[in-house]
Amino acid sequence: MRRSLPFELFRYAMIALALALTLIPILWMASMAFKPIAEWSASGADLTWWPKAPTLDNFRYIFGEQTTALIATLDRTATKPILASLLAAVFGTLIAMSAGTAAAYGLSRFGSGQNLPLALTQLRLFPPMAVMIPVMIMWAFLGLIDSWWGLALIYGIVTLPFAFWLMKTFFDEMPKEIEEAALVEGCSRFRVFMKITLPMMRAPLASSAMFVFILNWSDYLIGLLLTTKEWVTIPVYMASLSSSMTGQLYGAKAALGLIAAIPPVILGIAIQKHLVRGLTFGALKQ
Amino acid sequence: MTTIRLENLVKSFGSFTALKTMDLEIGNGEFVALLGPSGCGKSTTMNMIAGMEAPTSGRILFDGRDMAGVPMGKRGVGFVFQNYAIFTHMTVRQNLAYGPKARGWPKAKVDAAVAKIADFLQLTPMLDQKSAKLSVNILQRLAIGRSAIVEPAIFLLDEPLSNVDAAFRAVMRTELKHLQREFRQTMVYVTHDQLEAMTMADRIAVMDHGVLQQVGTPIEVYNDPVNLFVARFIGAPGMNLVEGTLAETDRGLAVDLGAFGLSPPLPAALAGAARTAGAKEVVYGFRPEEVTLRTEGPGLRAAVGFVERIGARTIVHFGAADRALKIVAEPSTAVSVGETLSIEPVAASVRLFDKASGRAIKGAA
Repeated sequence: MRRSLPFELFRYAMIALALALTLIPILWMASMAFKPIAEWSASGADLTWWPKAPTLDNFRYIFGEQTTALIATLDRTATKPILASLLAAVFGTLIAMSAGTAAAYGLSRFGSGQNLPLALTQLRLFPPMAVMIPVMIMWAFLGLIDSWWGLALIYGIVTLPFAFWLMKTFFDEMPKEIEEAALVEGCSRFRVFMKITLPMMRAPLASSAMFVFILNWSDYLIGLLLTTKEWVTIPVYMASLSSSMTGQLYGAKAALGLIAAIPPVILGIAIQKHLVRGLTFGALKQ
Repeated sequence: MTTIRLENLVKSFGSFTALKTMDLEIGNGEFVALLGPSGCGKSTTMNMIAGMEAPTSGRILFDGRDMAGVPMGKRGVGFVFQNYAIFTHMTVRQNLAYGPKARGWPKAKVDAAVAKIADFLQLTPMLDQKSAKLSVNILQRLAIGRSAIVEPAIFLLDEPLSNVDAAFRAVMRTELKHLQREFRQTMVYVTHDQLEAMTMADRIAVMDHGVLQQVGTPIEVYNDPVNLFVARFIGAPGMNLVEGTLAETDRGLAVDLGAFGLSPPLPAALAGAARTAGAKEVVYGFRPEEVTLRTEGPGLRAAVGFVERIGARTIVHFGAADRALKIVAEPSTAVSVGETLSIEPVAASVRLFDKASGRAIKGAA
């Protein structure tokens, strides 16, 4: 079908607008990451998209190198927070995906009624703040405060409903005949699940895992409340990047932000094919 | 190579009864088609034979052995699904080898079996292709191969050809029949396509609304439908069925067909049976293929509505709506729309049904 020219123009205008809304802040961050301190809070004619004197000082600074421009020393470098974020997000995703997938499969194939699936979504109904006090008390009791494994555990629990609901939808849409065909050949349920169901679910698994990972990766509140010193995550660390002399360290923050954006971008590109397939899984001809 | 026996089989889903008391015996090596419209309970019956669903009541016996509680993996059945259920993450070879491997066959035996079935179904050229990329026709072939490879004693096929294109369907009908002759399995074939049932099955079980209507050879269900449903369902076009009243004439018992006039006198045997049954309101039936068409003469008088010329034959439609008749004639038949003709059914092809019960009134053969 051919669309009219005004419609096409309108369509592309809307796409451009949406892209601009998404991309301009990111580009601004990228630009800021390479600006020397003098340009951080420039205004008027000095405010430029392209750094006038591009520098890697911001990156050097957050990894602990002294620079002439930034004399304030940091009490810790970005290395450990990056590690903390990676460990907590990866293991949190593993916990959510394995528990969520198992639960989704069980409820999709053998469950009856809507109560249990809905009860799982209720986990998301509470404002995180409302449950964080009890969680802090429990985590303190268990000795999990300020540890990446404590964070991974709570991340796994908080994102479990997402993993569960995404995977349940996918399992519901997978024709049960495929499993029955394997069962009729004499395979056990578990073997069918491992050899047939999961391999066929690669695309949905990949896209669900990515959603869950990004949720975990970008968490600020839980990280702030459950860590103190050793295992602060990137967002928490970023908030601490300021000094009494210079105020907010915009360049350093932007540099860290640019680094923080790398894992989701790499993941997104790596599973792009799966992501699109996963999002349109129901439309596939089976 | 097994006999299947269904005894008083009932299946309900909540308040809905999908299958009402089904009794059927399927002989060793027999090809039985379960034929009926959507929702008639044929797939439910099949799923119970396979063990995917448990009967609400009644028994399923394989060679006299009750199958209650036997899981589907242990029943020794092969099952071909309507939507193929191919493992799309595997190659054609891996799909075919799945059943043998699950049974723990040694590698040499698996390879030999894969080669044999692939050759039989002409899948050899694409053995190492990913199955996700194959056409629908090939997928269905693969699905049949994957189930047939272990040579199950019972082979169950659930509308396997309803998604493939028409030309390929004809090819597969021949191949399936050939496959069954080769391996001598007991085959149960679910379909809503009477052509598939008529061409392949040794016997057809016609079902409707969860009730088994008639079991018989294709010729039996075609020639001697036990009730109006079977008469209407079997045959393309289906049997002409006209409501009427029995009337004594000086040439014997006939049927008053209202607007179509009086039918030719009924054959003696049929007239006798009708008198014995004491029926008054009947349905007069005859096959569209078995008539003599004339401009003048005895028979039903009707005006031509429209004519379908489809090459090998011509279908002439008479009347309109509920009083419509269809006649299959020679391709060269010269008829024009609006013309009034006489339709005389071949005496031996006339069937009578009781209007109230729908059951056939049968003369002594």
